[in-house]
Amino acid sequence: MAKRIVLDLDLCCGCRSCEAACKAAFKGEARIRHGDIVGEAYLPLACKHCKEPLCAAACPVDAITQDEETGLVTRSASLCIGCQSCAFACPFGVIDAPLVRHISQKCSLCSDREDGPRCVAACSSGALQFLSDEEIQKHEIGMRMVSKDLFLRRKA
Amino acid sequence: MKISEPLATTIKKTVCPFCSYGCEFGVIFYDFGIKGIEYIKEGSSEGRLCPRGSAAALYLDNPRRLSMPVKNGKPVDWAKIEKELKKVIEKPKSVAVTFDRNITIEEYQSIISFCRKTGIDNIASSYCEPEAFLNPFMEKSFSIDEIDSAQMIVVLGDPFNQVPMLSKALINWKLKDRRNRLVVIDTIGTHTAAFASDFLRCRVGTEPFVLFGLADERIEDVNIREIAGIPESIIRDVSKGLKEAKNGFILATLSFGHTYDTLLMIEGLRKLQQFSGKGVVPFVEFAGFEGNQHFGSVLRSAKKKMIKYLINFGELFPYYYPQLLKGLKALNIYATSPIKFNGYTTLPIALNLEKQGSIITTFGKKTLDGAIKPASGAKTISEILTLMKQISEKGQSLRAPDTKINIRERIGKLAEKISTQRKKKTFTLLGEKIAYNFLGFFENETVKMNPLDAGNLGIKAHDTVSIKSKHGSASLGAKLTTDVGEGIVAIAAETPDTRGLFDFEIDGDIINFIPTEVELWRKE
Repeated sequence: MAKRIVLDLDLCCGCRSCEAACKAAFKGEARIRHGDIVGEAYLPLACKHCKEPLCAAACPVDAITQDEETGLVTRSASLCIGCQSCAFACPFGVIDAPLVRHISQKCSLCSDREDGPRCVAACSSGALQFLSDEEIQKHEIGMRMVSKDLFLRRKA
Repeated sequence: MKISEPLATTIKKTVCPFCSYGCEFGVIFYDFGIKGIEYIKEGSSEGRLCPRGSAAALYLDNPRRLSMPVKNGKPVDWAKIEKELKKVIEKPKSVAVTFDRNITIEEYQSIISFCRKTGIDNIASSYCEPEAFLNPFMEKSFSIDEIDSAQMIVVLGDPFNQVPMLSKALINWKLKDRRNRLVVIDTIGTHTAAFASDFLRCRVGTEPFVLFGLADERIEDVNIREIAGIPESIIRDVSKGLKEAKNGFILATLSFGHTYDTLLMIEGLRKLQQFSGKGVVPFVEFAGFEGNQHFGSVLRSAKKKMIKYLINFGELFPYYYPQLLKGLKALNIYATSPIKFNGYTTLPIALNLEKQGSIITTFGKKTLDGAIKPASGAKTISEILTLMKQISEKGQSLRAPDTKINIRERIGKLAEKISTQRKKKTFTLLGEKIAYNFLGFFENETVKMNPLDAGNLGIKAHDTVSIKSKHGSASLGAKLTTDVGEGIVAIAAETPDTRGLFDFEIDGDIINFIPTEVELWRKE
């Protein structure tokens, strides 16, 4: 895996700039989702590009494939039949049901953009970062179940 | 078969005009139009961009953008409009000129110069947002480094949603040293409040009382702390902390339909500034300009039929305030707008992103370099003014008359209003400012309501609910959250349907959109 999107829970302010950046770039279809922990937080849910992607395993037409070198899990727009199998199979709920174009919305880490994902570039608080496995280990970002500042536990 | 060459793309740098943070970003053009936006790692936001900024490309290239003036729902050419407008300004006493958002400093000066030359004397801002009254605090520019050196920051409102770009500096400052104290004053639970060291959650409309309390102001016969619903000990502690902090400031953001008395709120901020010796830093969606009168006098003149025509420059009025249209129905309205609205003559206007000039931000003046050409058929304000009369841009600024307020009297009135029990089966509707809901580009609005209220009405999460006020009605999805107390419902108020629900009071000549009593039920 070259690089992936990780979330530093301490920094997320719930503004959904990530989702807006994704929607603005992909014709209103956001490929980053958010977890709405009602009353406490909006948490961005980005595709993890899993080592063993269940979305790819569930796809009946092999529209979702994994790049062996980079680990990037991509969906072919021309092969996708919009059956939603991937959306049901994804354990993180980050693949959206078919919207305007009746094909699933799958994050490609903005492979069309040299500087990496737009959601990371737009993130207003710096909570989303685009890091390699080594960098993730080094910073311990995305490794905790609960934020050190107990953001998730705190009631407003 | 010949395969064509890839399309040539160019990136044009610009400044986001959608709030006073003034983020820089690039707009990507290709042969056939606008492709999107690019995040440029320089300037005040280091390439980061909130939902408003990300919406810029959608706004510039919106399929609803006007390319011709529209009258009675039908397109007409600019030549006809020019003829009409020239005739209108022949009787300047019967004309009011107003302006709202999306104008540059130079355009504002041109408008004033135009009014002087033509003899039009009814000049007012139609930007009736409470944040317009934060303008006097914009005179001193702010540096983001001031956050780093602060020991205590008192926040009024929800900057994480209103100005998300501030969040990085604020969160890092708070996490850097646990002694750094972030105090948030608001009526409802917000993301900013969730990060606060102290959240002063007050009753609806009582923010001015909290500010007066923090400023150690005492008003006879009125226990302002008790009415606000915040214990005396907490008020004293925060008040003492702010006064004794070596560095700090009061960060102010104001939402539409969130408070009953904007002028009292501004006075509260002034008192707290004087008491604590700490500056007030305002973050607004648009740093507005003033005319020689407030918009309430235009409404009054329209009612008395002293004026017949209203020419509005900007992008929001009267679209943003449908409840005011009733008072203006006798007028012929000419309003500039990027997109089409029915009911009055609409003139296609260039967005600030498509202009040359300067805008006011919290960090000082910023320049728009005009790198992006105006959309087809749209004109800038200066071009429209020139159609009517040759003018220079060197106009002066105007100031609307100051409204002297009697603090004691107002506090008494507000206390009485707050203690008056709401009618059974009604809710108090509050406005919020949420960047993600900006003009409805990304998501339909939802209505936040307390789960206990929802349970009583048989409403479940995501159900469609109908909301009705005396000014209008709307249907929205329900979001159940304890962020709002019982009897309160909150909406982002970014579309005419939802904005049109809010009641308003004319305070002197100032239009005040206030928390509003609404009925609410589950839509079958």
